[in-house]
Amino acid sequence: MDGHQPSLPQGSNPGAQAAKAPRSWKLGQRAAQAALVFLLCVGGLLSLFPWGRAVTRSALLLPALLSASAPAPLVLAGDPVRFRRLTLSSTIGPVFLDIYEPATPPPLIPGGREAIINVPGAGDNRTVPQLVNLSQSLAREGIVVVNVGTPTLFNYQVSARDGEAVVQAFELMEHWPGVDPQHIGIIAFSVGDLLACVGAADPRIRDRVAFLALLGGYVDVTSLLRAVGRRAQVVNGQTQPWQPISIDLYVLARSVSGLLSSTDQRLLQQAFPLATIAPPLSAQQQAQLSPDATAYYHLLEGDEPGNVDRKLAALSPQMKALFTQLSPLSVLGQIRAPIHLLHDRNDPSIPFTQAQEFAAALARLHHPYDFASYGIFSHVQVQSNLGLAQVLGDGTKLLGALDSILLVGS
Amino acid sequence: MLLLSLFWVLLGLLIGALANAAKLRPAAWVRGGRLGMLGLGALIAVLGGWLGTWVLGTLFATATALWIAVLGVALLPRLITWCARFLHT
Repeated sequence: MDGHQPSLPQGSNPGAQAAKAPRSWKLGQRAAQAALVFLLCVGGLLSLFPWGRAVTRSALLLPALLSASAPAPLVLAGDPVRFRRLTLSSTIGPVFLDIYEPATPPPLIPGGREAIINVPGAGDNRTVPQLVNLSQSLAREGIVVVNVGTPTLFNYQVSARDGEAVVQAFELMEHWPGVDPQHIGIIAFSVGDLLACVGAADPRIRDRVAFLALLGGYVDVTSLLRAVGRRAQVVNGQTQPWQPISIDLYVLARSVSGLLSSTDQRLLQQAFPLATIAPPLSAQQQAQLSPDATAYYHLLEGDEPGNVDRKLAALSPQMKALFTQLSPLSVLGQIRAPIHLLHDRNDPSIPFTQAQEFAAALARLHHPYDFASYGIFSHVQVQSNLGLAQVLGDGTKLLGALDSILLVGS
Repeated sequence: MLLLSLFWVLLGLLIGALANAAKLRPAAWVRGGRLGMLGLGALIAVLGGWLGTWVLGTLFATATALWIAVLGVALLPRLITWCARFLHT
């Protein structure tokens, strides 16, 4: 024994001390090995397999959607974004396209980029922060995004003819540098779903549309008017009160204006302005309306909830034909792409029952679809100040929907 | 890309440290072996990141850097040792 050997505490067992150190070393070694295996698997799964890449994209996109801003990891790891605004001329007039695309060349795998055609709802939504954020976030993820607008839509009207705008945007993307023509899908918001459905049903492109995702859309104008007229919706057999917002009534009033006289149009515009709920028309003003406009007025005003079916029956055949034209239901049978339905359970603009009817119609047609209801949206915008339970519950569902959409180009 | 590359260096250093703890360092690497593993991890992670950027895009470059660095620190030291032994015989 030399003097450098450390002294041991009284009563301790030198053998046990010596055995304890290697055992903890061994444990540390095993933990490090396990950590390395875990990192190897995670890295490999998230980069080598298409579904893993879709999960990576969804996981980075979800916080961007929920926070309505680009999170730091996406900004750091994503592509820089290039923006350009184009105007195409078409048979329906100008088609306005806002294009957000990655500023880098497409990677070797999968070769071509996914493209998503966004069809926002009524009005000019091109500068709405959440739409811009979604478009930029998708572009950072390597996806070319095109936001489509038409003069009719900007003018708060819906027209089935505007489906041409979606076809034009789709055909443009098919020849866009870096885009894989087999990986082009359509996302529509609110009443934009009419344009998306008409476009996706068009024989020129319907076999090549990769997917259709509809958030807060409607399926049938007549049943929508029934809910508006009754100020109620029937969810799972239960009648629930439901109040449309002013913009719904404004769009509904404007979208039939082509069938009405100038007096009818003026009075309906007065009764249903864009930003506020106006007082009802006076009896004298109502007397100036045509029979068709009178029935329509009462449906929108919701002042005769017990007479809704009678008012609907009183509408002219031209008006009913227009409703059929304006209903995505009329073209569902011609759509080939799988459809993802997303809807706010308490949607103040398009009643939740529209999504249920949409899903039922797709089920009758044996069309591939999925349907998820959410509480984190207010119509088509993500609510602010979400609770943790909402984020976890609906976030997981949204992650699944995003995964399906992003798998296409992964 | 500079920030991303620095991140991959950090990731590589972490993986090198884990490789040291996992005793993946060859017994022959006595002098500076631990630092060598850290450097090797950082180098392979950066190379993996750039390879991932080129092949899969920047979004998947970090995941690529991750698995390539782990594979690198597990296999490269053995390969280097084996090559050195082969050259000396």
